[in-house]
Amino acid sequence: MRCWVAALACVALWTLGCQPPGEKEARQLRFAFIPKALHIPVFQYARVAAEQEAKRIGGIEILWRGPETTDELRQKEILEAFIAQRVDGIAISCLNGDLLTDAIDRAVDAGIPVVTWDSDAPKSRRLAFYGVNDFEAGKALGEGLARLLGGKGKVALITALGADNLQKRLDGARLALRQYPGIEVVEVFDIRDDAVRVSEVIATGTQRYPDLNGWLSVGGWPVFLRNALDPVDTTRTKVVAFDTIPPAPDLVRAGKVHLLIGQKYFGWGAESVRLLHRLRQGERLEQPLQYSGIDVVTAENLDAYLEQWRQWEQGAQH
Amino acid sequence: MNSRLSLPRFRLVPGWSAAVLLLGEVVLFSWLLAPTDGRPHSFANLENFALVLKYSAVFSLGAIGAALIIGSGGIDLAPGAVMALASVVAGHLLTDAAWGWTTAALASLAIGTACGGLAALLITVLELPPFVATLGTMGLARGSAFLITEGRFYDLSAHLPRDFAPLGIPLPWWPGLLVLSSTLVFHLLLTQTALGRHILAVGSNPLAARYAGVHVGRVQAFVYLCGGFLAALGGVLLAFVQGQGKADLALGYELDIIAAAVIGGASLSGGRASVVGAVFGALIFGVLRNALTQFPGGTFADRLVLGIAVLVVVVLDRVATRKTLLDRGHP
Repeated sequence: MRCWVAALACVALWTLGCQPPGEKEARQLRFAFIPKALHIPVFQYARVAAEQEAKRIGGIEILWRGPETTDELRQKEILEAFIAQRVDGIAISCLNGDLLTDAIDRAVDAGIPVVTWDSDAPKSRRLAFYGVNDFEAGKALGEGLARLLGGKGKVALITALGADNLQKRLDGARLALRQYPGIEVVEVFDIRDDAVRVSEVIATGTQRYPDLNGWLSVGGWPVFLRNALDPVDTTRTKVVAFDTIPPAPDLVRAGKVHLLIGQKYFGWGAESVRLLHRLRQGERLEQPLQYSGIDVVTAENLDAYLEQWRQWEQGAQH
Repeated sequence: MNSRLSLPRFRLVPGWSAAVLLLGEVVLFSWLLAPTDGRPHSFANLENFALVLKYSAVFSLGAIGAALIIGSGGIDLAPGAVMALASVVAGHLLTDAAWGWTTAALASLAIGTACGGLAALLITVLELPPFVATLGTMGLARGSAFLITEGRFYDLSAHLPRDFAPLGIPLPWWPGLLVLSSTLVFHLLLTQTALGRHILAVGSNPLAARYAGVHVGRVQAFVYLCGGFLAALGGVLLAFVQGQGKADLALGYELDIIAAAVIGGASLSGGRASVVGAVFGALIFGVLRNALTQFPGGTFADRLVLGIAVLVVVVLDRVATRKTLLDRGHP
């Protein structure tokens, strides 16, 4: 057995030492994209747009890798692996910005431009962030619900504790709701980023507060499942939520949801590629915070929004 | 003519077989990932290997504990949760309670060891099956961590100096150092001491071990205490090296830890284990996790590849064991 080990060790050393075979290919820029997790559907739109934008600019290869689940350490491991691979740029949606700060700073020190998208690492020296202003988006969500309720009623909020961007949305929504004295926030539910748990929370919350007038979710959990809102009588209880990816538009059409706040899902990919490309060209960004704005979707503008969505999917520039 | 299929004459020696697998894996990925455009090798470089060591450290520490426990005929589902609890305790004591780093680390190790002690108590005194007992301690540890943090996390990095070097040793060296020293200590314990032989004897046949004068309960208690201590060591490492104490750290790591111990030569029916093999097992998974990020769609496949690797090793092990028994004349 030890002979086998020694023989394999020799082969390993030879492999590490030898020059790679084959013709030299034209050098492409390799941009690493790291989503929060591969299983989260919204990020697939960012991927499509990143690849389309890379093709449009030319000479760019997109390396789309991420943790299988929302494992913060695994995401950091992947980020550090890309730094060791000396990629030409990194675009990352941070699960835990503070945990990644040190690694992002090391990437920048190593000459690799880093931009964050969707979820930022504000303490790091990343060169740009592209995404929504979460506090303002939360405010828009709160104001939307208050308008739907005519400025009075009992509401429950849904969030997942621990994520910086969700906390900001929650703060924004609460601030907006506080402007309406007739509105009472009866409870804030933590659903631990679990799309299954949200169904349970909505069902038990509806039983506990039968006179509830509104649900506000700072994440898309209630609208990622078709039946999570089944226990809610949406003819008298208004529902507003973040995110507009399918099947959320169907729920708006069915009257189960009354207002959605959409993020620039395709922009996460396309704009990040453009930012990294500009940085590789030596450009300095005057404004590192690139707020994307939001899309407010209701039954009135649903068809127009879906048509726009179809065009983005087919490659229309975002 | 003998028509029976003759198997190759080799025996999987715990530890060395994992070393062969690890080397084979490194060779394979070095070849597959060889660059064709003049760039430096993206996999086979020292910085990347250091990265593999860094991220395999907590799995390695957990796998050493798992090797001892599995070798004694038990199983431990709690190491991931104990790691999280230890990281949270260290974070709480260092940031909220303003303890020094040494006392915070020692208290975390004590808490982790106590978790192992609780599992030992449930198994040896109440005679609960290890699976059930450690399922309980897993829930207790993870639940306590969530209770302490209330969904927040402790930012240790903000409370430690940038060039923090415990005992004069730079922080980035600690994962490798702890794995190396733990491997050495527990390898010697398992292979060179009476206690090590007792662990494997209890795993092989607890009744026979008892008749031979081995204190089965004490041996079982010892391995679970070691498991708790090593998991807590992993948690302290996470807290200080990664800079955070968080209740959802190391979620689901217990399965990778058990798999690493099994790939490293531990028999799930007890009686056989290798500390060195378990560490090699953890490194095999570390290399796999690292290299698969370099293939398109690779991160989707790593669970599949890990599963196949575990199955191949266990089947080869079973075949080799049966052949050895046949060679010795057993039916």
